[in-house]
Amino acid sequence: MDRTATALRSSRAHHAGSGWLVLAGCLLAVALALPLAVLLGVADIPLSDSLATLGGGGSVMARSILLDFRLPRVATGVLAGINFAVAGLLLQRITRNPLADPSIMGISQGATLAVAVFLLVSVYSHAPGGNTLPELPVAWLPAVGMLGGLGAAGLVHLLALRHDLGPMRITLCGVAIGALLHALAMGIIAGWGSTRIEILLEWLAGSLYARSWDHAAFLAPFTLAGLALLPPILRPLDLLSLDASVAQSFGLSYRRHFTLVLCLACGLASSAVGAVGPIAFVGLLTPHLARHVVGRRRRLLLPVTILLGAVVVTAGDLAGRLIGGADEIPIGVVTALLGVPVLIVLLRKTP
Amino acid sequence: MASRPSPGPLLLSPGLLTAALLLTAALLGGWGLLLGSRPLRPDTLLSVLLHPSDAIDSILVWTLRLPRSLCAFVGGVGLAVSGLLLQILTRNPLAGPGLTGVTSGAVTAILLCFVLLPGFSSAYYPLVGLAGGLSAAAATAWIARGGSGKGGPMRLALGGISVALFLGAVTTYLILLSGPQSTSLFFWLSGGFQGGSWPQLLAMTPWVAIGLAGALACLRVITLFTLSEQAAAGMGLNPALWKPVLLLLAVLPVAGVAPVAGHVAFVGLASPHIARLLKPPGPGWLIGLTAALGGTMVVAADLVARTVVLPREIPVSIVAALIGGPVFLHLVRRHRFSSGTEV
Repeated sequence: MDRTATALRSSRAHHAGSGWLVLAGCLLAVALALPLAVLLGVADIPLSDSLATLGGGGSVMARSILLDFRLPRVATGVLAGINFAVAGLLLQRITRNPLADPSIMGISQGATLAVAVFLLVSVYSHAPGGNTLPELPVAWLPAVGMLGGLGAAGLVHLLALRHDLGPMRITLCGVAIGALLHALAMGIIAGWGSTRIEILLEWLAGSLYARSWDHAAFLAPFTLAGLALLPPILRPLDLLSLDASVAQSFGLSYRRHFTLVLCLACGLASSAVGAVGPIAFVGLLTPHLARHVVGRRRRLLLPVTILLGAVVVTAGDLAGRLIGGADEIPIGVVTALLGVPVLIVLLRKTP
Repeated sequence: MASRPSPGPLLLSPGLLTAALLLTAALLGGWGLLLGSRPLRPDTLLSVLLHPSDAIDSILVWTLRLPRSLCAFVGGVGLAVSGLLLQILTRNPLAGPGLTGVTSGAVTAILLCFVLLPGFSSAYYPLVGLAGGLSAAAATAWIARGGSGKGGPMRLALGGISVALFLGAVTTYLILLSGPQSTSLFFWLSGGFQGGSWPQLLAMTPWVAIGLAGALACLRVITLFTLSEQAAAGMGLNPALWKPVLLLLAVLPVAGVAPVAGHVAFVGLASPHIARLLKPPGPGWLIGLTAALGGTMVVAADLVARTVVLPREIPVSIVAALIGGPVFLHLVRRHRFSSGTEV
């Protein structure tokens, strides 16, 4: 008995001590992934030239590729990865469902539908032939995507929470609304899109192709605001992951906090969908990966999720660029191919 | 279905109801022959139908509008029967060709063939679709069953969604790879009967017919399955033998319809439920009503899709989603998913 207690205490001490190690490891992963994503790519730029560019010098070619193409792309990916991962974590906590994710809860599909409608309307209102995409809409896409995502989450909320559905049916409602909105988006694209379908398809797959500083600048405030809002909701979040009645006995208004956290998750996810398209599974997988890494050190879950979100998207995009060559594989395809096997394992494990 | 009230008397006899549905489908189809970017007068239509000729109106009716309407009807019948069989087989009200991954499997397999093996004859596409649909259904079933042996409706839905997401990613990549053909592929993928022709009708009808006839031939088995698996086993039925047979029967129509119509959502899910609302007196009439409803719904949806924004058209899947989506949401909200025995 005494020995067990000692062993427990020492293991706890061991865990507390290695918490910093876990964080350092994740930071190291970020520190490795980001420079690699900037330095590697289809265009082969000598390392010395790349380093000179980052130091302020470098050839014109290297400056253009690194600073105008790869760096903003990586920055957008990092911000989107953080958004998706944190949104997934929040959704998993409030629905008490380990499988919640922006794309399973219908948020991504809502954003997709809004973007599809907006793009096609703007194409047809600006150019009668529908052959050119006007400059303005692209900058508006993230905002439009956000509205769509919020709308979808509102629908799920209306249907699921109003009728006191349990975690299972909230998820099923999300799946149903997602499927409905997806069918509508596909139909609208196929019905009205003509020459611009390829742009939409590229975006639908979830891609960091041709992302500029504008995209990063759009996403940054959402990411920062989302992260700033996290500390005050951590305690309510712990209670929300318990039962509704337990939460209420702690003096917490379950519904109000549920709504609040849902809005926060939705803002994070749908701004990211607007900027980079509905990248699948990052929101689902990253929190699980993080849980695996932190083990019982629950306090580290959030920071590790944030760091891993950045790494997952950056590494996935890099892999898609390197494997696909000139026809790069969109990051959304990479994450879906990697994510589904993991989802299947999770599904088979869930009781 | 625990909460369903005991079956009351039908307003109409089931035979009459089925006949009424078929008549509706025929009337809608006939009306559809008049509509289009070049509308016809009823008397012109009648003379063209009775005396086919080389006139534009005749070609319009005989090579464009008539085969298309028939394709829509047969496709709807196939999807509805497939949905009903899947719901009975999985004892799950949410099952359907869409949510069990069957349609995605068939569509992705066909697309894979089209993009990567261009020399492959399109005559074999139904077989390819069959293989794809069966594998996707098997994968979904495997996920849904989980480690504990029995999975609930929730797990089936999420399993199907994850399979569909995976196949969707593959599909998107294939379309991006296909370059100049991507637009037309996307149109096919998003579902619809535009360009439905006599050869296509001939190609898909046997598959749908085998599914429907097979379901009617297995009526005794299906009746027992609708009761419970224990009852079925108690009556000397071997589930290990009959489950794969029913699954094959469910996938056959989708394999036939997918090469023509792509991904038509929600018809397979919604038709059996609407048929049940009509309270058929037995599984035989349930199959008949479901088939007639599916055909009528898709003919109506196709008519709306091709006439509402003339001269353009919207894909039939939009219309189907607008009808089927609310049905699905209603099911999710209404059913108590605790019991595993609902059909």
